[in-house]
Amino acid sequence: MASSLQSGERIDPIQFEVVRSALTQVAEEMAVALRRSAYSTNVKTRQDFSCAFFDRNCKPIAQAFTQPVHLGSFVELIPTSVKTYGADNLEPGDMLVVNDPFGGGSHLNDVTVFGPVHHKGHLVGYVASLAHHVDVGGGAPASIGPFQEIFQEGVIIPPVKLVKGGVISYDIFKLLLAQIRSKRVTSGDFRAQVAANTVGARRLVDLVDKYGLDDFDRYVAAVIDYTDRRTRAEIADIPDGVYTEAGFLDFDGFTDKTVHLETKITIDGETAFFDFDGCDPQRRAPVNSTKAMTFSACAYALRALMAPDLPVNEGFYRHVRMNAPAGTVVHALHPAPVVGGWETQVRVNDLLFRALAPGMPTKIAAATKAMMAQAGFGIIDRDTGEYHCNYEALAGGYGARATADGPDAVQQHGQNTENAPVEEIESHFPMRVSRLSLIENSEGPGKFRGGLGMRRDYHFPHDPATFTVLSDRDIAGPQGIFGGMAGRKAFYILNPNDSAAETSELTSKCVVDLKPGDTVSFQTPGGGGYGPPDERDPQAVLRDVISGKVDHERARDLYGVIIDLATNTVDEVETIAKRSHLRSSRNSS
Amino acid sequence: MTTAAIDPIKFEVIRNALTQAAEEMAIALRRSAYSTNVKTRQDFSCAFFDKDLRSVSQAFTQPVHLGSFVRHVPIAVERYGPENLDPGDMILSNDPYGGGVHLNDISLIAPVHWQGELVGYTACLAHHVDVGGGAPASVGAFREVFQEGIIIPPIKLVARGKIDDDLFRLVLAQIRSKRETTGDFRAQIASNRTGALRIVEIIDRYGIDEFYRYIDQIIEYTDRRTRAEVAKLPKGVFEAKGFVDNDGFTDGVVTLAVKITIDDDGVRFDTTGSDPQRRAPVNSTYAQTFSACAYALRALMDRDLPVNDGFYRYVHVNAPEGTVTNCVHPAPVVGGWETHVRLNDLIFEALAPALPDAVCAGTKAMQCHAGFGGENPETGEYYCFLETLAGGYGARSTSDGPDAVQCHGQNTENAPVEETERNYPVRIARYELIPDSEGPGEFRGGLGLRRDYMFPEEATFTVLADRDKAGPHGLFGGEPGSTSVYALIKNQGDGKHEERLSSKTTVQMQPGDVISYRTSGGGGYGSAFARDPQHVLADVLQGKLSVERARSRYGVEIDMAAYAVDRSATLELRRGK
Amino acid sequence: MTIPGTGRYRIGVDIGGTFTDGTLVDSATGQVTTSKVLSTPADPATGFIAAVKKLLQSESSIAPGDLEHVVHATTVATNSIIEGKLAKTAFITTEGFRDMLEIARQIRPSLYDLQFVKPPPLVPRQLCFEVSERLDAKGQVVTPLDEQSVAQVVERIAESKVEAVAVCLLHSYRNPDHERRVGEALRARLPGVIISLSSDVVPEFREYLRASTTVINAAVSPIVSRYLKSISEKLEDAGVTAELLVMQSSGGVYPAEAAVRSPVFMVESGPAAGAVAAAALGSSLGYPNVLSFDMGGTTAKVSLIRNGQPNVTKDYSVGGAAQRGTGAFGGASGYPIRTPVVDLVEIGAGGGSIAWVDSGGALRVGPHSAGADPGPVCYGLGGTEPTITDANLVLGRLDPDYFAGGEMPLDVEAAQAAIRVRCADPLGLSVEKAAYGIVEIANTAMVNALRLVSVQRGHDPRDFMLVGFGGAGPAHAVRLAEQAGIPRVLIPVGPGTASALGLLVTDVRMEGSATLIVRSDEVELSRIAAEFKRLETAGRESHKIAASASGDPVFERSVEMRYWGQSFELSVPAPDLPDIDARWMSELVEAFNDAHETAYGFRANGEPVELVNLRLTTVGKIARPQMKKLETTGTDASVAVKGQRDVYFAEDVENSGHEGMVQTSVYDRARLPAGAVFRGPAIIEEPDSTTVIHPSWTVKVDDYGNLVLQR
Repeated sequence: MASSLQSGERIDPIQFEVVRSALTQVAEEMAVALRRSAYSTNVKTRQDFSCAFFDRNCKPIAQAFTQPVHLGSFVELIPTSVKTYGADNLEPGDMLVVNDPFGGGSHLNDVTVFGPVHHKGHLVGYVASLAHHVDVGGGAPASIGPFQEIFQEGVIIPPVKLVKGGVISYDIFKLLLAQIRSKRVTSGDFRAQVAANTVGARRLVDLVDKYGLDDFDRYVAAVIDYTDRRTRAEIADIPDGVYTEAGFLDFDGFTDKTVHLETKITIDGETAFFDFDGCDPQRRAPVNSTKAMTFSACAYALRALMAPDLPVNEGFYRHVRMNAPAGTVVHALHPAPVVGGWETQVRVNDLLFRALAPGMPTKIAAATKAMMAQAGFGIIDRDTGEYHCNYEALAGGYGARATADGPDAVQQHGQNTENAPVEEIESHFPMRVSRLSLIENSEGPGKFRGGLGMRRDYHFPHDPATFTVLSDRDIAGPQGIFGGMAGRKAFYILNPNDSAAETSELTSKCVVDLKPGDTVSFQTPGGGGYGPPDERDPQAVLRDVISGKVDHERARDLYGVIIDLATNTVDEVETIAKRSHLRSSRNSS
Repeated sequence: MTTAAIDPIKFEVIRNALTQAAEEMAIALRRSAYSTNVKTRQDFSCAFFDKDLRSVSQAFTQPVHLGSFVRHVPIAVERYGPENLDPGDMILSNDPYGGGVHLNDISLIAPVHWQGELVGYTACLAHHVDVGGGAPASVGAFREVFQEGIIIPPIKLVARGKIDDDLFRLVLAQIRSKRETTGDFRAQIASNRTGALRIVEIIDRYGIDEFYRYIDQIIEYTDRRTRAEVAKLPKGVFEAKGFVDNDGFTDGVVTLAVKITIDDDGVRFDTTGSDPQRRAPVNSTYAQTFSACAYALRALMDRDLPVNDGFYRYVHVNAPEGTVTNCVHPAPVVGGWETHVRLNDLIFEALAPALPDAVCAGTKAMQCHAGFGGENPETGEYYCFLETLAGGYGARSTSDGPDAVQCHGQNTENAPVEETERNYPVRIARYELIPDSEGPGEFRGGLGLRRDYMFPEEATFTVLADRDKAGPHGLFGGEPGSTSVYALIKNQGDGKHEERLSSKTTVQMQPGDVISYRTSGGGGYGSAFARDPQHVLADVLQGKLSVERARSRYGVEIDMAAYAVDRSATLELRRGK
Repeated sequence: MTIPGTGRYRIGVDIGGTFTDGTLVDSATGQVTTSKVLSTPADPATGFIAAVKKLLQSESSIAPGDLEHVVHATTVATNSIIEGKLAKTAFITTEGFRDMLEIARQIRPSLYDLQFVKPPPLVPRQLCFEVSERLDAKGQVVTPLDEQSVAQVVERIAESKVEAVAVCLLHSYRNPDHERRVGEALRARLPGVIISLSSDVVPEFREYLRASTTVINAAVSPIVSRYLKSISEKLEDAGVTAELLVMQSSGGVYPAEAAVRSPVFMVESGPAAGAVAAAALGSSLGYPNVLSFDMGGTTAKVSLIRNGQPNVTKDYSVGGAAQRGTGAFGGASGYPIRTPVVDLVEIGAGGGSIAWVDSGGALRVGPHSAGADPGPVCYGLGGTEPTITDANLVLGRLDPDYFAGGEMPLDVEAAQAAIRVRCADPLGLSVEKAAYGIVEIANTAMVNALRLVSVQRGHDPRDFMLVGFGGAGPAHAVRLAEQAGIPRVLIPVGPGTASALGLLVTDVRMEGSATLIVRSDEVELSRIAAEFKRLETAGRESHKIAASASGDPVFERSVEMRYWGQSFELSVPAPDLPDIDARWMSELVEAFNDAHETAYGFRANGEPVELVNLRLTTVGKIARPQMKKLETTGTDASVAVKGQRDVYFAEDVENSGHEGMVQTSVYDRARLPAGAVFRGPAIIEEPDSTTVIHPSWTVKVDDYGNLVLQR
């Protein structure tokens, strides 16, 4: 190991490890500061934020992994913003704020605050924190919805100086907040980002104090080299070949034309190349991913194939190479709307894994919910007149794997946000979560079954509210692989089981005005199954039936497992007969 | 200072000089602006305020700004804090809930300093063609102010003579038509600079004490004249109820109520009884309602009355909070001018019995916005365009309502077809008067007009108008003018298909699609059967009125072979009534 | 019809509201003779010929054949528009736009007036016709011209018996083909009817402005034609065969033949003459930058002259309310014309303007005028309302016994009484103070007018000389200069007839323009060169008809430019370089940036600049008559003092120590010797005007007898 660290200059392996973990620690401390001082549930509880440190050339060095989706986009956003603003225009104590989707950003809610770190007048690098702000203005509360242009989505922030010499710029801050519904919460979150960066900068200065700038630089370079070498080795382990897969996003919010997606991954020795030629042109609909978002999908996919302990930095990202043609849904150009770009991004991720499945069947899962499942609402407090916004992204069924079921109701791929505790959101907003449950029979059957989808019902007893669904999967559930079946598709229902109010099905991308007493039921899909369901261990099926996740008719019809309801046991004889029948009809079809 | 005598000569000289300063601001603004809306349609105003934020002199091209702008500027300055203003600073603001109106109307305010002392403020307002938000040109059927575009609380756009690049970039980032808007902002800066130079020259000449003293006098002068004019108005309580036809979302009309009390204490306007505010683009801010009342009062006064603080103090308005006449955050306000202008019509309707010779019958009484935008295929730039269309004016006691003009507080020009087609990928296929659209009367209402927009490329079009349910009211037996029609015409394989649009809607245009506006005609005044048959004949000969309508509505038989009135047939018809 | 002038004499005739002024110059000696006859509004040609004959008779040595040319300034075109006495005219436009003239600009002429009326369209709706055709903004054909629809329209026009037809099709400024074909069809069917095509008259975009200009051109053409024909006949009857030239609104002259074809270019012929006179005077004395101030009985007109040329504008409307302030293209109360007009501001402040106290207790002057009948109170013709002339009289600035050279005694007591009753008492002022106020308030309005043409166009008034003339101009000029910060004033010889003299010192100017509308970074330079070449060829052609002009024509090239996105152009002289190349373009753009900064306080370096119109003026030089010098006598000003009287001054008290009635010397202008220098306060009288010299100003009499005043 020590010898492999030699790259020109002598690197002390112990010091290397100390510096490496110290850098990661810087990012982690930033994350802690951000989370502790934030106001919104989305940031403080759901952890919809990320922090990172970049060197003076804007190369990513260390990250606090909270949301993988963010990190890939950071990589482009920071250098682009520094270039746009001019590195020379940044002084110690300055911080820029930026969210421009066409300047390296993702959707507008993801706002990055970053600033230079100086040590005795020398630029060391940049600390950055990104938070998904619950509202950034625009067409609907929480700034999500079926929009048709970027201008409808909220405040667009080119790199501008939020903090000047350590002091928040009053006019800029005031102008930003004026666009935002949930002003109190959002100003708290902005301040938390500033705090995180301040903490990060302080720690870095401590580090440089300790090692001196030259050594610091040397070890930073070594960390990048280290990741570079390991990344190359990992890619070399992937079987060479060209892997392709096509798929679609179910609904663009406006037309009945599904959004076609195409991926091609070429693995050749130490290089991996992602090609998205053939994806649909961008739409006047909220399904456009920015280049940075698509990059982040590739980075996530590649990273997921590697050893879990690989530190991610410039040494990794330089190996993420892609072609996402400009003007398509995977590389949208101004003024396309991008708020639902994450829906496309996460579906791309699913496709990438499907494409790679034949090459690495044991590493790959069946399809997951593969949508962000975003729910937002806004409600005005009758007493204070304050405008509250809530945003969350719901979990769904995970895809089954070669050796295990897909977990029920979890986040997937680049998305790893927590759920918002019912008690927390009910204490913040005049509403109720009237149901939060797994959805029976929503799994994709298979030798290993997909995870169950989840249902979350939002009830507004007293006040009118505006509710937005920005999600997908309303045509088809997540596919299974190797004979596994698809999970249940998603449902979005206004006033389910309500006789008083009219029940209606909503689309996966809509804004609805709710009357007092209305309920929106958000039902996410189950994960796809892996392998034929009639190969599933009957005891596993039995466990699912007993726990109420799968009913016995489904067990019989899809898994070929006959349960004796009186004894809660598998009727093995009947099961064998049923399964042989299932198999013969499967083979004949 | 002692109560030194006022020199009437100096008074008149300073008053003219202050007015001139505002006029020069307006010229600088118009000539250096970029957007058709500002440079050609003149959708802007300029004014000078004294150090106590009283309105002193104005160059109003648009009377709607008359009441709103002068309310907004003092509030914006107070919010920012005059103590935070240095020489060369300028603050920008459009906050509807900080005294403003709809978001497109952005004010730029500059303190004027003389020898280091703050002596007043120059301010200019421009309607920017796009301020971001839900649709190109930032007009449309929105439900919250957040959907309408960038909301600008008072911020220092120019600090000590230099534009704050970060703020400017942040503002522009929200805006579709960046190039044009940049030009218009620069023009506003040039305007304020011009105004400040003039003010300083005046003070150099007369000294600061005299400057202040005469400003007081100028305001007092208007006060005296306003008081005298108010005293001449008939006393009484006058009421009317009416409505905005369509809120853009629901079927129900938006009820408006106005009560005007004129007594020894002056004139009071009360809009109690107007509908609660809506999640729909029909909410007027207090400033807009105030502006409607100010316009109405001003229109009843001597035409050369200079308007300043001495006039405004006589405009008393009670508009209950939370109604469409004084909405509260976060109601959308982009269509508030539609409500504002209808209020004006109502005020005149209420006053008609008392002032039958002063007022006019119902006018189009809508702003009638047409906004569109998209990508210009030649430049790749996002273009936005906005204009407001004219309609028929209401008839008066001694004259017909003029055809196809703007009404009340609105006096913006039309955009020349050639200029529009040169700058934007659109074709104006038709622009003409609509025969038979007048409200019949002894004096008839003006004709409405038709304007058709054809799009050779994809575009987004927004109609933000009204009058699609009822035409403008007639007075004293006069009949209402025609209702407005907004139509989408699609050229399909088997011919043209016309689809009626709501008066508040956004439509995606496919190549070849046409949007057709047909604005309402003005209301008539007096019985149509009392109309001079020769006037009816003239209208028929000019093709403004059909022979059939002359017969059925006016009881006049025209002999088209002789180009003359058939007298006996006319007598017969009119006797039959 | 005209024979090239051979003689040494030239005549200028300027028809005003009251008098028709004639001026005759002997180009050999510079001797000037003037004549004044009453105007004959019913048939202006009668007054015209009377003035000419009076001039010819005054110098017995002159034979009609000795005249080189006759230059005429006339308001015949303007009056026919204002009075609605236009020829019956039809209008043809593109299908869908018949109501262009009715809808006009959709705005109201007055903001708060619920009783307003729109100016009636110059062509009634039944004479507006559509033809089926359409061009796009690039001039490409969208719908070809439908010959059948043209034929139908032509037939209907033939039935309606019009004298003129105006044609304005959309985007014809870009491609005149359809318009020309319509024009050919009209000419074939309607011989003798005037046909005006918008692409010929003003090939510039914005359809209503172009249509309005074209309609005016067509509708006044028969009237101008009849008028000029009548004048020519009368001149021939009087034996005058010299060329007849007409003053254009832009300040150049053109042959009568051209005037008949493009009469819209002479709509403001009268007022332009004054500006041209001021320009010529300034230039001849070495002051190329002057502000012209021409104050008569009812109005005052000011304009700005730079480098010897009056500033010219195209934002103008005729027949409307006084042009002031922000009204785009001249407000909504008149009819816009887009031909070049001397950029002058005319306000209702003349000797006859009435002073009054309004309901708020403010002293106001104008806009009402007592005119010539009944005239100011002091005329004793029945006027009861005090005027500016009455105020000047009360202040001692006019001599009651030397008005109009003593022909009309003035009633001082009546003037004082009127000012006391109407102004002084209501305001609690002395009569003198009130009279002073009346003059000061009128001066303020005139200073504002000066500011409009100078500061607002980006010029510093301190860099200019003020030329004061017209009957009332010299009485106010010095005070205006003081207030506007202008350091020098010139009062020309014969200020009352200076305008007519202006007619004799102007060149033949023919305008040509080509619309480009292209960005400086996209234009093909060869196209610019080709267009200028084409304009030059056309200019040479038109030059041939101007018989009086001597030698080869001179070409002035300029480019109208703006930042890409603006709508108002600034005219920039084309760089004087041999080739139109990259350097030429960069100099042009830089000159534009400079001009923009001067005008509006900012420059947008690097922003695309648009070239809108190329303009080429063909100038036929007309030799300037030599002005006659005074004989040097070696005496000083005291020889001209004809007495003393009390004159009221109140301004500049600290410097002068003067306030109130001040004993003031009165000079006879005719006796002032060249080179005389003296200080104010002073009054200088001559038969048709009185010059008021305020304290702290110095008078210098130049070699020609002009008064040069300095502070």
